[in-house]
Amino acid sequence: MKLNLTVLTLVLFAAVSYGLYQLSYEVQELEKDLKSLNVNIAENKESIRILKAEWTYQNRPDVLQALASKYLPLLLIAPYQVASVGEVPYPPVDPEQYSVPVPRYNPHRDYSPVDRAPTGPVQLATFTRTGSLQ
Amino acid sequence: MSEPTWLSKSPRPRISLTTTLGHKNLEDRHKPLRLDGSAKETLEQGRNRLVMAGVIFAFCFVILAGRLVGLAISGIGEDEATTADSDITLPVATEENKRAEIRDRNGVLLATTLTTASLFAEPKKVIDPKDLAAKLTTVLDDLSEATILSRLASARNFVWLKRNLTPSQQYQVNALGIPGLHFRSEEKRFYPMGALVSHVMGFTDVDNHGIAGVEKYFDAQLDGSEDNPSQDLTLSIDVRIQHALRDELSRHMSVFQAIGAAGMVMDVKTGEILGMVSLPDFDPNRPSDFSGDAKFNRITLGVYEMGSTFKTFTTAMALDSGTVGLKGGYDATEPIRKAGFRIRDDHPKKRWLSVPEIYMYSSNIGAAKMADEVGPKNHKAFLAKLGLLDKPSLEIPEIGAPILPPRWNSLETMTISFGHGLSVSPLQLSTGITAIVNGGAYINPTVVRRDDMKATPVRQVIREDTSGIMRRLMRLVVEKGTGGKAAANGYLVGGKTGTAEKAVGGRYKRDALISSFVSAFPMNDPRYVVFAMLDEPKGNAQTHGFRSAGWTAAPIIGRLISRIGPILSISPVNEESEAVQRAMFIPINSREKKLASF
Repeated sequence: MKLNLTVLTLVLFAAVSYGLYQLSYEVQELEKDLKSLNVNIAENKESIRILKAEWTYQNRPDVLQALASKYLPLLLIAPYQVASVGEVPYPPVDPEQYSVPVPRYNPHRDYSPVDRAPTGPVQLATFTRTGSLQ
Repeated sequence: MSEPTWLSKSPRPRISLTTTLGHKNLEDRHKPLRLDGSAKETLEQGRNRLVMAGVIFAFCFVILAGRLVGLAISGIGEDEATTADSDITLPVATEENKRAEIRDRNGVLLATTLTTASLFAEPKKVIDPKDLAAKLTTVLDDLSEATILSRLASARNFVWLKRNLTPSQQYQVNALGIPGLHFRSEEKRFYPMGALVSHVMGFTDVDNHGIAGVEKYFDAQLDGSEDNPSQDLTLSIDVRIQHALRDELSRHMSVFQAIGAAGMVMDVKTGEILGMVSLPDFDPNRPSDFSGDAKFNRITLGVYEMGSTFKTFTTAMALDSGTVGLKGGYDATEPIRKAGFRIRDDHPKKRWLSVPEIYMYSSNIGAAKMADEVGPKNHKAFLAKLGLLDKPSLEIPEIGAPILPPRWNSLETMTISFGHGLSVSPLQLSTGITAIVNGGAYINPTVVRRDDMKATPVRQVIREDTSGIMRRLMRLVVEKGTGGKAAANGYLVGGKTGTAEKAVGGRYKRDALISSFVSAFPMNDPRYVVFAMLDEPKGNAQTHGFRSAGWTAAPIIGRLISRIGPILSISPVNEESEAVQRAMFIPINSREKKLASF
């Protein structure tokens, strides 16, 4: 009986210490991970800072202006090019086309969608370069 | 067997001296030894010492075991400290002990702090200096082989080769794999926009402390302290506006061979400064490479006699105080002679001029008479209300105080009425014009974004209806007067030219001019005040040799406003339309005889 108790105590002691050590090692491993993650995050943040600075540097207005004047056929916006939505005319409607209702989608019929693009150039109802209304 | 002694009954084994002495038989050896007296004491002492030593050893082992368990459970001591620390502080590097960033009103980065690598060498550990120099120059092209060799030849253990490398340069140097080269990380203030926002930003010293511009003014906020962490700063500057302003100014500065130029764009309702440029300027990334002239902020620190732009204030004052109405006028036939001075007109009409005519033709005689009628005392009080007589307040340290005349009598009032005798900074002039066109409320200028979009007006300077008349008068100058070249189709620009001779050494220099133009747009509901100034422009063939503001400064405004109008989302109007014409109508009331030539 006395022997059993001793053996039981020893086994229990061994088991508990094994568990304790295992837990401790696990925690240490996790802390190491945390540390390396923190270092990683700090490094990445620094990289982001540098990349942001680089991005801003590459997008300096004078650089963009030089590139735009080299590759884009854009000029200064003239007043006649600015209009509010209300001033934009509706596309011209062909009465023949829209007088007969055509089903939009019918698999039994030969149907091709109508080309809805307005005919001719889009006209803005604003004034021209010379100032007269179009 | 010998007869048993009394000792044999003892439970303890005893050493019997008799047996050791007389070897009578073998069994006697196993008999307990009997100790007595001094022998027994010696043995007891030995036993005690053994026990003591055992206890001490056991104690040490227990301590060792305890420490071992402790280490196994908690890890190495230092680790413990760091983990305990990180429990209290914020999760991961959110707190960076870096100087805060500065951004423009749209969030474009203007200044940031980067950790850079600086390259240094240990000359004693360098194996082949010539090879090192040859290899290093392929990567760092701004270093010459000679300088590297001379630095490596020094007897010191530590020589800087290049400070603040870019990450790619650091990578390339590492890739060379030369022994004896090392890096040290340093903090470097970086301005991605370079010279663009230089005068507003200012710059920092090697320890990243601001020593000019907003970097100095907001040094404490940007640096932060124990109690309050560093905070980012958002300026009112818009880099797009700033760029357009700088681009136009530098172009016209070179066209007219001016020694300097300055310009600013200011929001009329909030007092925010969207653009502020002073040329020549400097790169805040390397301020030591530039002269003091480049670092001089002509907008805020420079004070100049601004010339005819002051007639705006004179006219507003006269109309507001009621000494003269729009229909009134003054005789500008003859120059005024007063106390040895002669006040004459640059564009003489030699006839009676109405108030709108005085303003649009920029008549010095008319303005002088107009101001004289108001009187020196009221004149001074009015200019003080416009903030022209005190040092203005702005969030940068480089602010110049105006230079007032020693006396302020009738003569001084006459000269100040057309902008001579009182030196103010362009910042003060623009702020004053802001008050004139926005309905009469003086608003403190600022370079920091105002998020509430409404500034609290400091004081009412002129009546609202006077402000309305002034807007139309300024429009008249661009439409029919001296500032025709400032017109930007659709944006209803109004403004006033100002040409002043520079006072050098107490007398006016005829060949050195300050030509400026102050304008606002759109005039039916002013949103922005735009100012441009050229320092000592020279005329050219295109301007027929003229250097006055109408020829040199006004075109800057015209081009600039057509550039920034769309950015500021000002919708252009048809300037010829009847509604606009009616809104901008002002009776000129000229008495000029139209058919005088017959």
